[in-house]
Amino acid sequence: MATATAPAPTRKRRSANAARSARKIGLGLLGILGMLATWQLIPTLGIVSPQYLPYATDTLANLFGEMRDLEFWRNVGRTLSLWGIGLAIATVAAIVLGTLIGLFRFPRKATHTTVEFLRPIPSVALIPVAILIFGLQPQAGLVIIVYATFWQVFVQVLYGVADIDTVARDTARSYGLSKVSQFRSLIFPTALPYLMTGLRLGAAVALILTITAELVIGIPGIGSQITNALTVGDWLTVYTYVLVAGLLGLIVNLVFRFIERHALSWHQSVRGEEVL
Amino acid sequence: MKKSLATLGALAAAALFLSGCTDSGAAPEPTATTTEGGGGELTTVRVAALPIAETGALWAAMDEGIFADYGLEIEVVPAQGGAQAIPALLSGDIDFAIGQPFGPFRANLQDLGAVIISNYASSLPVSAGTDVNAVVSLGDSGITGPADLAGKRVSVNSLGAAGDVTIMKAVQDAGGDPTTIEFVEVAFPEVQAQLEAGNIDAGWVPDPFMSQIIGAGGTMVVHPYQATIPGLSLLTNITTQDMIDNNSELVTAYADAMSEALSWAAENEEAVRAALVKYMEIPEAAAAGITLPVFTADLNVADLEELASLAVGYGVLDAEPNFDTLIQEQ
Repeated sequence: MATATAPAPTRKRRSANAARSARKIGLGLLGILGMLATWQLIPTLGIVSPQYLPYATDTLANLFGEMRDLEFWRNVGRTLSLWGIGLAIATVAAIVLGTLIGLFRFPRKATHTTVEFLRPIPSVALIPVAILIFGLQPQAGLVIIVYATFWQVFVQVLYGVADIDTVARDTARSYGLSKVSQFRSLIFPTALPYLMTGLRLGAAVALILTITAELVIGIPGIGSQITNALTVGDWLTVYTYVLVAGLLGLIVNLVFRFIERHALSWHQSVRGEEVL
Repeated sequence: MKKSLATLGALAAAALFLSGCTDSGAAPEPTATTTEGGGGELTTVRVAALPIAETGALWAAMDEGIFADYGLEIEVVPAQGGAQAIPALLSGDIDFAIGQPFGPFRANLQDLGAVIISNYASSLPVSAGTDVNAVVSLGDSGITGPADLAGKRVSVNSLGAAGDVTIMKAVQDAGGDPTTIEFVEVAFPEVQAQLEAGNIDAGWVPDPFMSQIIGAGGTMVVHPYQATIPGLSLLTNITTQDMIDNNSELVTAYADAMSEALSWAAENEEAVRAALVKYMEIPEAAAAGITLPVFTADLNVADLEELASLAVGYGVLDAEPNFDTLIQEQ
């Protein structure tokens, strides 16, 4: 009897889901079109001279032209590889240090003031120091990227590792779980959502700093293309590469949200379950 | 069925799009070079240079094979300014830098060991009628001469360097009060926009921006270098005391090669302009309109000493640098 009514609700739920995701995509596209329309209007209405802010249509056309140039893709590759290496180094360092410091009360309290002091220092202020040590090489850029990204991920791991549910921890202790077991089944799952958030934020920060380092130090990549175009006053190319930087950021964000959703597929925030 | 058709369509569109692929970064065909060197290995030398028109002489001389004759292979490292080039020089990452003399002035005052070994480019003499850089303003600004700059906002690309010093001297010589000028730091490509927005009254710019602004109806107010110290050095060849002490043969070879390269460039303006088109990726018409400096390795030390004493007089430098340690011509 109960089975006769089962097919109808699932079909209705499926079409409701489809309508919801279609509306989400539709609203997203509307936002993008709105931004492009505003950009097009600003030089058209003369709020800023079109000489200094090229039309959105011209910029997009130039972008498609650039995309047919192999050197464009090489520059994207250079930016993304520097970003990837910087993010990887920062993440590994942050996980190791965050876990070690976060698990024990003494290191956490002892390093708290130092962390809060070092964290707000803007990496770009460290550029002359980086150049003094590494010269005008990509390694100087890595110093900048790793410094800022590290703090993003570190703080998240620190809080994640410390946020263990007290009932769960007492249960683990009373069941006599070994330290390794405790780490694997208690600390790691608690810290994972924090780590995923830190990774997503860190990925965005790393991309911003990669392009900044290329812009200021002159490391080959998207940023240095912007500076070269700026030096000759080629605003069209400047804004084309600014658009590219924005698109890269968008793609990075989408990729990391996808990874987060799948790594945390067991977590109640993703499953949408009620916590009893 | 529908899905595979859509994928096929997308792939076909991509293939059509990519069939028009170009490669602007492909290595340029090697130009014919005359190598009379004894077939020995070339030493790679890293030289930091700004991506500006003056570097055209270096590029053209490299293509001509002049540095290869002295056993040197130049790797040009683009720097965005002295603030990047001098730390990189001191860290040992780059061997030589081509930059304006004010950076070494400041480095010498702090005993950092930056040394000027020869000249690279100088501004034009009065007989040339024009100069490589100028203070410009919009046509309707009411500023016609240097005396009018008193009390106005004037932009330079880098505060506390040769720009403000020579502009202040030019204003003083014309009878204006240089202490009333408000100097603002604006990068050269942005000066035109800032003038039009009314944020500055006048700006110091080189070519191509100088020609662009004047061509669009702007006024040439003064050529500060020419008005104060004609023929003042624009750019010099800089290295470190360490390099001179430990690698004096390389420094001498570089200085000699640079001297020949600069004399050659002074005689072969067309080659320099062609190098600008190739390396800076600007159109030929733009390259043809750029006012080139005088390329010479001859350093006029008296001019630099005058610049330093003016700087101290206006409070831009705390003291005069020690010219014995600062300038060591090879």
